[in-house]
Amino acid sequence: MKQLIALLLTLAMVFALAACGGTAPAPEAKPAEEAKAPAKAETPSEAPAAEPVTITYCNFNANGGQEGTLDEMVAAFEKEHPEIKVQVETIAYDDYFTQMQTRVAGGTAPDCYELNIENFAAYANKGLLAEITGADTSALNETALNAFNVGGKQFGLPESFSNVILIYNKDLFDAAGVAYPTAEWTQDDLQQAAEAIRALGPDTFGIWQPITYNEMFKVVAQYGGALLNQDKTAFTINSAENLKAMQTLVDRVTVSNVQPTAEQAGAMGDWDWFMSGKLGMIPTGIWAFQTFTENCEFDWDIVVEPGSTQKATHFFSNCVVMNPETQHAEAVAAWLAWLTGSTASADIRLAHGWDLPALKDMDALAAYLQVTPPENKVAVFDSLNYLVMPPVIEDYAKMCDIINEKLSAAAAGTMTVEDALNAAQAECEAQIKLG
Amino acid sequence: MIHKKRLGTAGYYTAAIVIAVLAMIPFLWMLSTSFKSRGALMSVPIEWIPKEPTLKAYIKVFSKFPFLQTIGNSLFISVIYTLITLLSASMAAFAFAKLRFSAADLLLKVFLATMMIPTQVTIIPLFVVMNKMNLINTYGSVILPSIFRPFAVFLLVQQMRTIPNDYLDAASIDGASVFQVYYKVALPLCIPTLATLSITTFMESWNDYLWPLLMLTDKAKMTLPIALSTLNGQYATEYNVLMAGALISMIPIIVIYCFAQKNFKNGIMAGGIKG
Amino acid sequence: MKGNGPGKNRGCGGLITASPFLVPSLIGLAIFYLAPMLISVFISLTDWNGLDRLFADGFMRQHYIGLENYRSILTSDEFWKVLGNTLEYIVLYIPLMLLVSISVATLLSRQRKGVGVFRVLYYIPVLTSWVAASLIWKTILAPQFGAMNNILALFGIKGPGWLLDEKWAMPAIVLVSVWKDMGFFGLILLSGIIGINTSYYEAAAIDGAGPVTKFFRITLPLLTPAIFYVMIVSLINSFQLFPQIMIMTDGGPNGATQVMVERIYKYGFRYFQMGYASAFSWILFVIIMLCTALQLRGQNRWVNYDS
Repeated sequence: MKQLIALLLTLAMVFALAACGGTAPAPEAKPAEEAKAPAKAETPSEAPAAEPVTITYCNFNANGGQEGTLDEMVAAFEKEHPEIKVQVETIAYDDYFTQMQTRVAGGTAPDCYELNIENFAAYANKGLLAEITGADTSALNETALNAFNVGGKQFGLPESFSNVILIYNKDLFDAAGVAYPTAEWTQDDLQQAAEAIRALGPDTFGIWQPITYNEMFKVVAQYGGALLNQDKTAFTINSAENLKAMQTLVDRVTVSNVQPTAEQAGAMGDWDWFMSGKLGMIPTGIWAFQTFTENCEFDWDIVVEPGSTQKATHFFSNCVVMNPETQHAEAVAAWLAWLTGSTASADIRLAHGWDLPALKDMDALAAYLQVTPPENKVAVFDSLNYLVMPPVIEDYAKMCDIINEKLSAAAAGTMTVEDALNAAQAECEAQIKLG
Repeated sequence: MIHKKRLGTAGYYTAAIVIAVLAMIPFLWMLSTSFKSRGALMSVPIEWIPKEPTLKAYIKVFSKFPFLQTIGNSLFISVIYTLITLLSASMAAFAFAKLRFSAADLLLKVFLATMMIPTQVTIIPLFVVMNKMNLINTYGSVILPSIFRPFAVFLLVQQMRTIPNDYLDAASIDGASVFQVYYKVALPLCIPTLATLSITTFMESWNDYLWPLLMLTDKAKMTLPIALSTLNGQYATEYNVLMAGALISMIPIIVIYCFAQKNFKNGIMAGGIKG
Repeated sequence: MKGNGPGKNRGCGGLITASPFLVPSLIGLAIFYLAPMLISVFISLTDWNGLDRLFADGFMRQHYIGLENYRSILTSDEFWKVLGNTLEYIVLYIPLMLLVSISVATLLSRQRKGVGVFRVLYYIPVLTSWVAASLIWKTILAPQFGAMNNILALFGIKGPGWLLDEKWAMPAIVLVSVWKDMGFFGLILLSGIIGINTSYYEAAAIDGAGPVTKFFRITLPLLTPAIFYVMIVSLINSFQLFPQIMIMTDGGPNGATQVMVERIYKYGFRYFQMGYASAFSWILFVIIMLCTALQLRGQNRWVNYDS
């Protein structure tokens, strides 16, 4: 009996498909069942003035917990602008850029979407973004705003920003009898404290500062170095300053061992180590606060990262951009400006502890300081005085990967730091053309 | 003799259990992780039995998205996907294995060749094709590719080739049409393979992530893997929640597996009776 | 390949009889496979970045660079290194996987109490997501505290650094892949074993054959079509090794586990050189095709159809 049904189904399908597939192969072969399903938002319509226009906004940052916050923002915006409806699509970070690239190349990108700073460089340099005009950006932090300005054109608005501070385990400092870190600390002070904490036990470590590209561009700045020359026309990866900076980091793993080697670390990540109470210091982002508050069973606080010859701190920002093919440029600009620069949006964002809005006026952020731990939250703002920008070039991802590969060899001890930097310099020069 | 047999039994179970333990370790760890609170996740040495078991992770999974609707979408897609694959692939396999036609060898090689190009470079072209056909944001975009599954065709060709031609000849001498030979003789003899294929096909469709993500942008059409991905943040992963979600999504496949397993036995019987 | 399969002089042969059976597959082949593949051939002749609108007006005129991608891939050190890594995986993986999955299938084909439970348990690794599997395997393979090296230490062997060691990272990936795939290929081989007509065994039993003789005289020869399938498919899959690399090592340490598709993905979606990635894929295609052709040619010597 089952086979009979199967056969009937088969026959039906063969005939249905043969009927439309026989004459014209590709485009028309479309089964009836799904043809009627509405393909909304794909074809922006010539909406009459009275109808609200619908714009689509795609993002990754709200994924994993802040979807409700974003919905709240959208509701507030739609209340202020009844003529605009925002349709939000939130996608996990991991495959966000793969899907976005496919949609952009396929011609079905949303009206506006979120990009991180690395991908922004690629998209902007390849001419895939619209200049955002007519949006009021006066409230936005200038450093952040400039990060998304290419050749005098504003292709993206900073949606939020985060920076990196040094988080430390107070209990371990007490146990080791070392004074807590201060904003005046240098890398040498850090080294001494780390050694004292390391002496507490065989599996207690002083610090974990990943030996990666991301740390490198900041730490070399603390030693007066950089990855590119001033006008970004040549790589300077193996300069003397850079070598000194990276040697300091690598020695902490291979020589003084105040930082765990990959073997000692095992499968646990840096956050896991810190939360387990066996790590004295960890330079990480302010996005760790909530997780650490929930999971650390010891006292911890934060401080501006120590420098060397000068201070330098990280800055991460996501931006929002406009699709040049959008039919509703004005509505999109209004939404993006509101999302990034309005106090209303900032208040909602802060109330839910979701990144920092990239505003110029720090008073608007007063509420942020009141949530503790950490006690010393003002260090988050103090750090903004020493921001160093990632060296954004068109082939950013490739540069990251090359440098990371060599740094990991140096950290594992299979290559000297000097050889690693020389090799990275040579490979970058060979594979990347600088504008 | 009896002694030897006992030894064989002991050996059999020792080997079987050792492999089973190896196979199960990560699964058991997933299970234990899913009952942990976040703080207890990555302790060294591994905490196999959570000290303070909690259902927090499961509650979070269930409260995060419209669970029934998502499961419903995934089931709908995967079941139809599997049925179409079984039908279409077994038909093609029958033609290749048992009907002689010119260019059969060449065509089978073309089928095989389509498996040899990485999907990473055909995904944008396929996206463009789907867009041209107005299939984006329809279930069809995710289901229709099932009418051609080269792996499935090839597997069934291999199975059908082992069916003795005498069986088929006997049936056609009795006056059965080609279609009757296909569904009355060839298909029943392939039941174990069809059962295997239904598990692997269902699983592939059930776990597929990137393609439905690209195709089904409408939230109402969201499938389970996409829904589960909404549990991950950019910076931090809550492994307990991740594992709880992964375990829940394994259940339907395990059910289907147990169900299909019964058909292994039926397959033996079908072979036995007809032979 | 002449004469495999075949109903000698069966009256119902011919393309006309076969075509209704083939139509659904052919339509799917044309739309969902051949069309995208054809497009990607064109892309491989361009410097397309994978972001600009595909086939906008003047696309080919603007981006066409001829065979330049192919030339630069074949003359790069990277390609040969990555091919070497991929081959290292294949050479280690396929024999080990075959051995393990034939053993698993044989074990599971026995009519013993509880075999149904084992059939489910052995399939669990296939169902386990790579994310979960890789997390636990990284812990097991951790050089100092990992279970693997602790067990080796019991036998007085000092275990290597596994995923952190340039020499051992690929063998570690092979080990984990075999663990993950043994249930899948085991199941396919199992259904092949179950499909073997029981009368063969009965006849052999009458002749007084023991289990070992039965295995080598009946099971193994009659299983060759399934084994052949597993070899073809696993070879194709191995050349396209991808998710475990991305999740477990991301190509490291120091490039020791960079493989073909990992490069293709990174060039296409991370470095924005989709033309280059497409050309890379077509070179890979040719390599896989040559290997498969060799296998197909060799099959008459050992694969046993239509007993």
